[in-house]
Amino acid sequence: MELILGNIVNDLSKITGYIYPNEFELHWGILVVVYPYLTGLVAGAFILASLERVFDVSSLQPVYRLSLLTALAFLLVAPLPLLAHLGHPLRSYQMFLTPHTKSAMAMFGFVYAWYLMVVLLLEIWFDYRKSIVVWSNEKRGVTRYFYKFLTLGTTDISDRALRFDDKIGRIITIIGIPSAFLLHGYVGFIFGSVKANPWWSSVLMPIVFLFSAIVSGIALVIMIYMVTTMFRWKRLSMPCLNKLAELLFYAIIVDFSLELLDFVQRLYEAEESITILSQMISSRLFISLIISQIILGTLVPTISLAWARFGRVPDEMRRLMYFIAALLIQVGIFSTRWNVVIGGQLFSKSLRGLTVYKLELFGLEGALTAGLLLILPFLVLFVLTRVLPPWSAVESHVSESPV
Amino acid sequence: MKVKKIPQQLIPLAFLLALAVAALVIMRLVLLPETFGEYGHYRALAVDDVAALDIAYAGHQACAECHDDVYELKQQSNHRGVACEACHGPAAAHIEAPDEYAPEVPRNREHCTLCHGYNPTRPTGFPQIIPELHNPRQPCMTCHQPHHPELPHAPEECAACHRQIVNEKAVSHHASLSCTTCHDLPAEHLVDPVMVRALKPSTREKCGQCHASNADSAPEIPRIELATHGEGYLCWECHYPHQPEANR
Repeated sequence: MELILGNIVNDLSKITGYIYPNEFELHWGILVVVYPYLTGLVAGAFILASLERVFDVSSLQPVYRLSLLTALAFLLVAPLPLLAHLGHPLRSYQMFLTPHTKSAMAMFGFVYAWYLMVVLLLEIWFDYRKSIVVWSNEKRGVTRYFYKFLTLGTTDISDRALRFDDKIGRIITIIGIPSAFLLHGYVGFIFGSVKANPWWSSVLMPIVFLFSAIVSGIALVIMIYMVTTMFRWKRLSMPCLNKLAELLFYAIIVDFSLELLDFVQRLYEAEESITILSQMISSRLFISLIISQIILGTLVPTISLAWARFGRVPDEMRRLMYFIAALLIQVGIFSTRWNVVIGGQLFSKSLRGLTVYKLELFGLEGALTAGLLLILPFLVLFVLTRVLPPWSAVESHVSESPV
Repeated sequence: MKVKKIPQQLIPLAFLLALAVAALVIMRLVLLPETFGEYGHYRALAVDDVAALDIAYAGHQACAECHDDVYELKQQSNHRGVACEACHGPAAAHIEAPDEYAPEVPRNREHCTLCHGYNPTRPTGFPQIIPELHNPRQPCMTCHQPHHPELPHAPEECAACHRQIVNEKAVSHHASLSCTTCHDLPAEHLVDPVMVRALKPSTREKCGQCHASNADSAPEIPRIELATHGEGYLCWECHYPHQPEANR
């Protein structure tokens, strides 16, 4: 007891003002930060893929399949932080057996299942079906049977069948866009609907989440496209990269404007919470919000993207600037999630004090677990690209720009 | 009528969908606990499970049965609202086997300062100390009896209970005024602060001694026309004297 009290006293000394006893410990830690970050990447990558498919942005063809696989890899990992945070992962299936229609969190299981089963897996299957059938005939040994299994017994790759695949793929994408919006809008909705928390409670929250998701998804695909192409000793498609950068630039402008609008509205409304929120921004969240999210994660990449895309810059330099911008955007969007999740719990509901977040290194809720969960999707993606190579069909389209 | 042929690739998908639905139905039949939904969206037997959990706390009435002298003493003191187990920890095990398990007796200062350490947002009048300044390193129980925490002597300064007000005043234009310049302080207030209160100024003339237009005070002090300014109200009903707005 003495030791516990000693620790409490030590932590209490970091608290400013008055907080309620149950606000000392933050209940949503870094794993809950990782979760919206991952789902955002899923939604963003999928929306990027759908641009090529539905809106026929042909220059994006080299990253179409890559975006889909990226979305799948991140979607497969997305629920893991929640399962680790909640504990008892073996009970999670019960959510599907006893649907609780009045609980937004419980219904998410269905949103997730719909998005995984009906949208992503189906779209990928229809898109790869021809290749899978071909591979199931070409490959030898166990892999042959593996691809035969993936064909699900359908070997028809006649023109008529392929036309049908294409048509249904397009329909799934059209369904997929609102589904992707729903998937990540829902995450914002969970926070935005917490009436008692002035940092979260905002109708703009789902929309801001969605646009930041698009930003982070495009930036991620840019990074993965550049790195994978480099390691495969292939040429990057500059028109594709330029288009990606252009879309990223527009998305980040909209995203930043929305966040600014939300911020200005809060300032102008100046509800009774504004004093403590201002204190929180200028003390606890200064590095993660002002430095990391706004300056490094938004302003620098925006300028860098605009300069690289629309300025007179050699391709070599342009690629470097794109990459750095995309990397900074990842840092920025991760900070955004951090500021929402952790920030919303740092101030007391009494509006009279600030607590501290005590991030541990080891343990289920620690920084190492979070790091592992952030690396895991890339390993999943590596396996997916081995099983379903996303580049074979597009290599011939790629322009002659050297790496 | 010509029936359109179903594309081959839809057949395994339809089969998979049917399989998923069937799996869900079967899982629901097999895995759903019997009493689920009886009272609400949960397993009714969970209530019995919770009821069967070990009880950790005994409740203060259980303590009073044996320790009635201590309990009575505490009930007459300002700690009457603090349950025994708030300081001594959960004591159900002690009730079961009084000789085998003795509740904790917290003797370190940190325990008491959880409530009595200075915190600006605690209610004014609540006794608060700055542990580093108040008899450092001495266990609180040396001077204070926790079951009847009478002060060993009357507080020497108002800040012992009203530190936040004193701190605010210290950086305001009223810094040089002592508390008793404005407050009438009955001697009993130091002994029984809850029952006998210090008095706030009950007339406008109290503030007028310095702030009235004809007051004999330093020229830089703000003046008002006592007869017409905020007629009908006491000064402190609009102005907060511990941090007057002129300072802000």
